[in-house]
Amino acid sequence: MAFFFEVLIGGLMAGVMYSLVALGFVLIFKASGVFNFAQGAMVLFAGLFFVGFIELGLPLWISLILTIAVMILLAGVIERLVLRHLVNQEGIILFMATIGVSFFLDGFGQLIWGSNVRQLDVGIPTDPILLFDGDILIQSFDLWATMVAAFLLAVLVVFQKTRVGRALRAVADDHQAAQSVGIPLNVIWVIVWSIAGLVALVAGVMWGSKLGVQPAIVTLALKALPVLILGGFTSIPGAIIGGLIIGAGEKLAEIYIGPFVGGGIENWFAYVVALGFLLVRPQGLFGEKIIERV
Amino acid sequence: MSMAQKKIGDVLLKVDNISLSFGGVKALTDISFEIREHEVLAIIGPNGAGKSSMLNCINGFYHPQEGTITYRGAARRQMRPHEAASQGIARTFQNIALFKGMSTLDNIMTGRLLKMKAGLLSSAIYKGPAEKEQIVHREFCERIIDFLEIEAIRKVPVGRLPYGLQKRVELGRALAAEPSLLLLDEPMAGMNLEEKQDMCRFILDVNDEFGTTICLIEHDMGVVMDISDRVVVLDYGRKIGDGVPEEIKGNQAVIDAYLGVQH
Amino acid sequence: MSEKSALPDGRDPLGRDTIPKFLAYNAVHRRDLPAMREKDLGIWQSWTWGEVAGRVRDMAGGLAALGFRRGDKLAIVGDNRPELYWAVGAAQALGGIPVPIYQDSVAEEMQFVIDHAEVRFALAENQEQVDKLLSIRDRLPRLEIILYSDPRGMRHYDQPFLKALDTVMEQGAAHNAAHPDFFDAELAAGSGSDISIICYTSGTTGRPKGVMLSHDNVVRSANLAIAFDNITARDEILAYLPLAWVGDNFISYAEATIAGFCVNCPESADTVLQDLREIGPTYFFAPPRIFENLLTTVMIRMEDASGFKRRMFHFFIGVAKRAGRNILEGKPVALTDRLLYALGDLLVYGPLKNVLGMTRLRLAYTAGEAIGPDIFDFFRALGINLKQLYGQTESTVYLCLQTDADVRSDTVGPPGPGIELRIDGDSGEVLYRSPGVFVGYFKDEAATAETKTPDGWVHTGDAGVFTDAGHLRIIDRAKDVGRLTGGALFAPKYVENKLKFFPSIKEAVVFGHERDHATAFINIDLGAVGSWAERNGIAYTSYSDLAGRPEVYDQIRTCIEQVNRDLASDSSMAACQVKRFLILHKELDADDGELTRTRKVRRRTIAERYGTLIEALYSGQDAIAVEAKITFEDGRTGTFRANLKIAAAETYTPMRKAG
Repeated sequence: MAFFFEVLIGGLMAGVMYSLVALGFVLIFKASGVFNFAQGAMVLFAGLFFVGFIELGLPLWISLILTIAVMILLAGVIERLVLRHLVNQEGIILFMATIGVSFFLDGFGQLIWGSNVRQLDVGIPTDPILLFDGDILIQSFDLWATMVAAFLLAVLVVFQKTRVGRALRAVADDHQAAQSVGIPLNVIWVIVWSIAGLVALVAGVMWGSKLGVQPAIVTLALKALPVLILGGFTSIPGAIIGGLIIGAGEKLAEIYIGPFVGGGIENWFAYVVALGFLLVRPQGLFGEKIIERV
Repeated sequence: MSMAQKKIGDVLLKVDNISLSFGGVKALTDISFEIREHEVLAIIGPNGAGKSSMLNCINGFYHPQEGTITYRGAARRQMRPHEAASQGIARTFQNIALFKGMSTLDNIMTGRLLKMKAGLLSSAIYKGPAEKEQIVHREFCERIIDFLEIEAIRKVPVGRLPYGLQKRVELGRALAAEPSLLLLDEPMAGMNLEEKQDMCRFILDVNDEFGTTICLIEHDMGVVMDISDRVVVLDYGRKIGDGVPEEIKGNQAVIDAYLGVQH
Repeated sequence: MSEKSALPDGRDPLGRDTIPKFLAYNAVHRRDLPAMREKDLGIWQSWTWGEVAGRVRDMAGGLAALGFRRGDKLAIVGDNRPELYWAVGAAQALGGIPVPIYQDSVAEEMQFVIDHAEVRFALAENQEQVDKLLSIRDRLPRLEIILYSDPRGMRHYDQPFLKALDTVMEQGAAHNAAHPDFFDAELAAGSGSDISIICYTSGTTGRPKGVMLSHDNVVRSANLAIAFDNITARDEILAYLPLAWVGDNFISYAEATIAGFCVNCPESADTVLQDLREIGPTYFFAPPRIFENLLTTVMIRMEDASGFKRRMFHFFIGVAKRAGRNILEGKPVALTDRLLYALGDLLVYGPLKNVLGMTRLRLAYTAGEAIGPDIFDFFRALGINLKQLYGQTESTVYLCLQTDADVRSDTVGPPGPGIELRIDGDSGEVLYRSPGVFVGYFKDEAATAETKTPDGWVHTGDAGVFTDAGHLRIIDRAKDVGRLTGGALFAPKYVENKLKFFPSIKEAVVFGHERDHATAFINIDLGAVGSWAERNGIAYTSYSDLAGRPEVYDQIRTCIEQVNRDLASDSSMAACQVKRFLILHKELDADDGELTRTRKVRRRTIAERYGTLIEALYSGQDAIAVEAKITFEDGRTGTFRANLKIAAAETYTPMRKAG
């Protein structure tokens, strides 16, 4: 039994890492209806700049501030060069644009910082922690990741209640109406993409510390997709809970079902769950019901 | 008791020789008129006459190629919608643009966004002055709800409301900004007689109680003649009439436009 | 909080004989307890008894300063607003008489009441009511002053006789400050024999009559009712029924002031259901129509719910119907049902009562007309103590009250506390004597003499019977009750109402006066029977076609036989069983003069128009040819010919029901 809990807790904590990426997707999708394919690339991009600044010998906190500045600048550039020209276009066109952004970020980041795997150490402890008289072993790193995610979530929830948060919801709902009550669309988009960039930075730091900063992060970040399908594209709690379910589910499946099918379940388990969900509950656990009026 | 006592003030907004075209198609040609403080001005005209385009120019959704719009003495060629809003121009839309996922109260609160001052940081802490401010705004919005008699739908997501009530909520959201100029794009379209009467009463009450200047587009001639102080008539993007309702009723060009005389 | 209870005759042991005297008592002894709440700008505002008494005092001062004198009438028109209740108290404190008027009256109806009651002062809630009053003012020479409470839209009204209530209250405060003994002296000058209110009742025919109730009537009746149902200062109600209805004045004003409980005023007429949920009253009165609407809403919502929820709902409602009433009435129930009911309460009844705002409800009454047994049983099955009462304005609201221990859907209960009832042997009419018997009709000696016998008995105009258990059952208006040739009482409306509780029967007309048995015309409900026909694959082209179908006749026969069985179980009504019936080929219609505009059957017109059909019911024929002239929607006329079937229904031997 203790082993089961160990696997479960390990899985839940790994799930937190998926949730971090999924959060970025949800924020942008909620505010602008755009499915931002570039979120994964943004995680790598943020990670590369952060680790790059550190390698230049800058102190940790200066590197962090500089990276934040880079991500905000990036949001501004994306708004100015891409979004502004695509106002009132179909969602699919915006989606295609984000694929373009994704390739650009991927390439541009590596052009500057190279494509080697780089170790990132921001001082998060990695020693194991024993619980229940040593029956259950968890990684203190995972515990840290959970705390960081919880903090991020709290900040986002509070943010939603602010004036800007209200404006953000308004923009998400109806662009024209939002403009008519005095909300500047462009500013809101820069804010949204900046926040998504900051979430990407957090995810980049956490993933980078765990696996090293490397291009494979972009692919790993795609795990956020099934998380979103599970949790719903428009729900912040959905992103968190979806991540936890996928994380725990794939670890448990690997241990308890894996031996019967020759292992390797971890790689595709999430996608199968997502497929099942698409059939039964396409709006996800927490998403808004999709009503198409004909 | 009568509307005759109402004081109509100075020019609030002046439209000078506005022309607007989309890819060579002229929507508005050389339009000039004035909106005076505290008046109810109706813009009428057949379908496709350019009425909505005119409103869209005033609140900055469209940018006319020629001409100027002078608002409160300041002339401008280009203004974006959120700038118009921050200068006190609020509006409703022909096809209703509400925040469908939000409740009636949240829609109206969002209309009040510009009046909220508490910054990001103070409202993030969400105590003290920010909370007090929130209460003041909530009370203001509740007054609007009381005014429009929509208490029963305060917490209902607006997407679920019938059309007539959505129009009312949209008016409420515009009022939340305490506008000095209120643009109403067909506020009574698709309503039954009773709903129209209610809406007329609200429009006149807004004009009377708060002194708000109102510029509205409307198809129902009876309504227009009843509630407006002055009427501007557009046809094929040109102005063909401008005067008090009595004059407009007798204007031959207007009668022709409505009866469909060939140009 | 133990109060000195009222004397057995309903009088107050402390000698308080007018309601404002109770208010003055509350101002001291319940000063900080909540007396009223009103939802305004989305927030429940509240007033304590101390504050309410202060407002009433100010308002009385203001009225006095304007020249309101002992015996003057104050007309009050508007929704349930605290100020309007205070105005009732203020007028009474000065020895004046409030005359509440229905807020949806048209100007002419208001004119009649104001003119007849010789009103000098009127209080209107808002601009809408003021406009109505202004439109008739030139025909009301006695009306001197119009007060209004809501200033919205009143800015441009500058007539000198129009006064804002707030201003009047400010002047009243000043007046009271200048004459510190004035209010208390006026209060002390009042006595129990003073008229406390004049309620105008529409009546079925003729012009409204002004029922005068004295303070004695109201105080004693209220005291007896409070003791009967153990109403305390901890109760709460929602005041949403019209102020002009005697029941609202009785519950929301008199009982509230005497028992000291809190009265909540809804935000607007549209928000009553939401307000109900937020307040969760403990004491609630509603006409059957409201309970019916609530049930319909619940059912519609359940139809939209997921399959699992729906099944769970129906299962537990089944349990409730089986066991709920017995649990409520403290009768023995099987252990499994008791356990299932407890589970159902957790899963279904509790949440449902919460949605309906009935979680805290311990006392609910319905009255006014017959309530459908299904509706009545549904709410009782949920554990809601819903009871029926019977009464009228002239009796100060109630005559019969059901006791908590013995509640039935088909009777209105035994005579209430302090009430003597008897049934006139010839006419079957119910007569009563009670502390609540009204003083008289205002300025209508003739009508008063007609209704009140010299020895103090009052005619209700209703025909009733006492069941074997001693409960009163109202069967019809007395003038509509007839006799079968065998001598038994014949109450057509009683039977018709029973028939109309079936969804498939829209209208029924029962004949039998001076005949040896009862027969009936039936109108089917096209919606209910039509959808039943569609589900069962019965094709039909029109109402007449569907009405003539043998399957439909079978269905209606089942309904009638069920009613017959029911009637047979009651010795006094057993003779009214319907032996033969036919389904009419056309719907009875107000446009043809067969129904009144309020959908009441016009017996005489129908008897004249369908005389041959009635004869056929009493002959041995099993069909009759009808030919009718019908007017189409576009104004053309045509002739309709058909052969109407006449069917027989089983009747049952009367038996005495136990209990």
